[in-house]
Amino acid sequence: MNPEQGILLDEEALPLTGDALVEQVMEEPLLEEEIPVKPQKKKKKINKEEIWGTALASIPLIGFFIFGVIPLAMAIAMGFLDFSATQGWSFSGATWGGFENFAYVLKDKLFWQSVGNTLIFGSSTFISLILALAIAYLLSRDIKGRSIWRMIYFVPYVCSTIALTLMWKEMFNPAWGIINQMLGNTDLANGAINWTGENTPFYFMVIIMSVWSGMGYGILLYTAALTNVNQSMVEAARIDGAGPFRTFFRIILPTISPTTFYLLIMGVIGLLQAFATTFTLGGDLTARYTIVYYMYERMMAYDLGVAGASAWILTIFILIVTLIQFIGSKKWVKYD
Amino acid sequence: MTDTKNILMQEEAAAAAPLTEEAMQEERSAYQKRKKEKMRSQKVRSITGKVFIYAILAFYAVIIIFPFLIVLLTSLKTYQDATHIPFEWIPEMGFTGDNYAEVFSRYPTMTALLPSIVQGFLNTLLYVLPPTILGLFTSAISAYAFSKLRFRAKKWMYTFLLATMMIPGMIMLAPQLALYDMIGWMDTPLPLMIPGMFGAAACVFFMRQFYTGIPDSIVEAAKIDGLGFLGIFFRIIVPLSVPALLAQGLLGFIGGYNDFMGPLLYLQSSDLWTLQIALRWLASTYGKQPNVIMAACVIALLPMLVVYFICQKFFINGIVTSGMKD
Repeated sequence: MNPEQGILLDEEALPLTGDALVEQVMEEPLLEEEIPVKPQKKKKKINKEEIWGTALASIPLIGFFIFGVIPLAMAIAMGFLDFSATQGWSFSGATWGGFENFAYVLKDKLFWQSVGNTLIFGSSTFISLILALAIAYLLSRDIKGRSIWRMIYFVPYVCSTIALTLMWKEMFNPAWGIINQMLGNTDLANGAINWTGENTPFYFMVIIMSVWSGMGYGILLYTAALTNVNQSMVEAARIDGAGPFRTFFRIILPTISPTTFYLLIMGVIGLLQAFATTFTLGGDLTARYTIVYYMYERMMAYDLGVAGASAWILTIFILIVTLIQFIGSKKWVKYD
Repeated sequence: MTDTKNILMQEEAAAAAPLTEEAMQEERSAYQKRKKEKMRSQKVRSITGKVFIYAILAFYAVIIIFPFLIVLLTSLKTYQDATHIPFEWIPEMGFTGDNYAEVFSRYPTMTALLPSIVQGFLNTLLYVLPPTILGLFTSAISAYAFSKLRFRAKKWMYTFLLATMMIPGMIMLAPQLALYDMIGWMDTPLPLMIPGMFGAAACVFFMRQFYTGIPDSIVEAAKIDGLGFLGIFFRIIVPLSVPALLAQGLLGFIGGYNDFMGPLLYLQSSDLWTLQIALRWLASTYGKQPNVIMAACVIALLPMLVVYFICQKFFINGIVTSGMKD
């Protein structure tokens, strides 16, 4: 049974006019014969749609069940298993370890150092958010070449983290890098900033890099959001005597609050999973450890239990932060 | 009665007319004067404001472009010039292409067929293109089912799909590593390729958003014309959504091209490396030669930049529309 037949029936069900009506009246007995058939055929057609719909829609879900549910179950188990008797990344030979791994992770100074580092690097999210809004606000004014500006600002987004990190590492080179040259001191023995050799400058370097490469995305979304600001409301506020600052904080900022909220959520989730930048920078500073970097090292040491436990802790972190943001957002995010 | 009234009115008008006209003229000229002054001051203010805006925009553009310029210049310098103090815009020993020759002649092992950067680039295309194209197709067809077909499980399936997006990818890293190790996929590109072919939840979400914008009447009309469910998708839905598909495909391609964590975890043999891994290997090999590392960076960045500048319109629209929808 193909769908065409069902469709033909639909056509017949349409109100008929003129000649068709006459024909129908003449062929009335025939039509009556068809009536009991109609609902049956229609039901079959719906079944077909049901099957097609479920089948097509389930493709991504099948992928998730194979490559998501199994690892997720393994992830839940991993934190509680003892892998000391296993070989490689295999699970065979693992024994029940209770909360041993969690106790180890929570007592590990390096883990807390990585948590602290991740949060410090995370401040870049807020800096780039504010700067992106400022630039986007200027772009939303009556200026020429908006798309060209936007195109330039967005370039870092398409570049690989590795290439950008190597590029900035070169510019931050303490001995000959352009940044220390601009600061006027390249003599390490004489107080030049050792960007890659000390923790504090290292933090600054990573934050500068992240703000630089992260702003483009914020600018893009903010310019889109700002074009949706109701201009007549802005005009009305101006006539009522509101200055540009008041207009901005009372009208524009609330209107674009969903964008801010989205960028914050995505930014925080992204920063908690930061890895590639500090991994590429390398070195032997403790500042290079992020939570994921810590996990990566445990994984490469075949220490799946500790990796699993820290993944758990990271997930709980993300959940708490997201939850706080969602609860807090009720106060300041305005959807209309 | 009426006559006198008329006369009176005329007199009144005659008396009033010159006065009002004068007053009006005065008022008008005063008004124009004031307006001109106001406009001038406004113009001055808006011109300074404009200059200020353009200055900031240009300054920020320079900040974005400057590092790329430094990279390009360094990649064209000799080692002595690259580490020279002070920085030279025009190197003393002239520009050279030696660094590029060096990168292109660097083989990862003695037996390797291709230089690591070339092999890395080819591998990246091989690993990224098929899952991107196939994944885009599966995402789109599932989005079509979610937006245009009626089936009972639709609602909870869609909710479930969206919920999978909330799982942080990092919790899956270690177990995925163990899983792929168990089924013998380690040191093969399969973990990078196969999962993506089932489509991505974010892409389904975006495409569904797009398809809901296509009126159902078009689909109904196609049904009446006798098209099957797949026919409707390929003949009607796909042609209508080419820009959206292109935008999503580009995003997927760029994500795959720049992916680092996956290849780092799953690929060990040097002939399987992707471009990013090859780049990192070159950077550690030439640790003390910034000019060569920068040449490798330029080679790695260039293809993506070319793609970006050609397709930036699709790209930016894709991000704006996929990034923000409630």
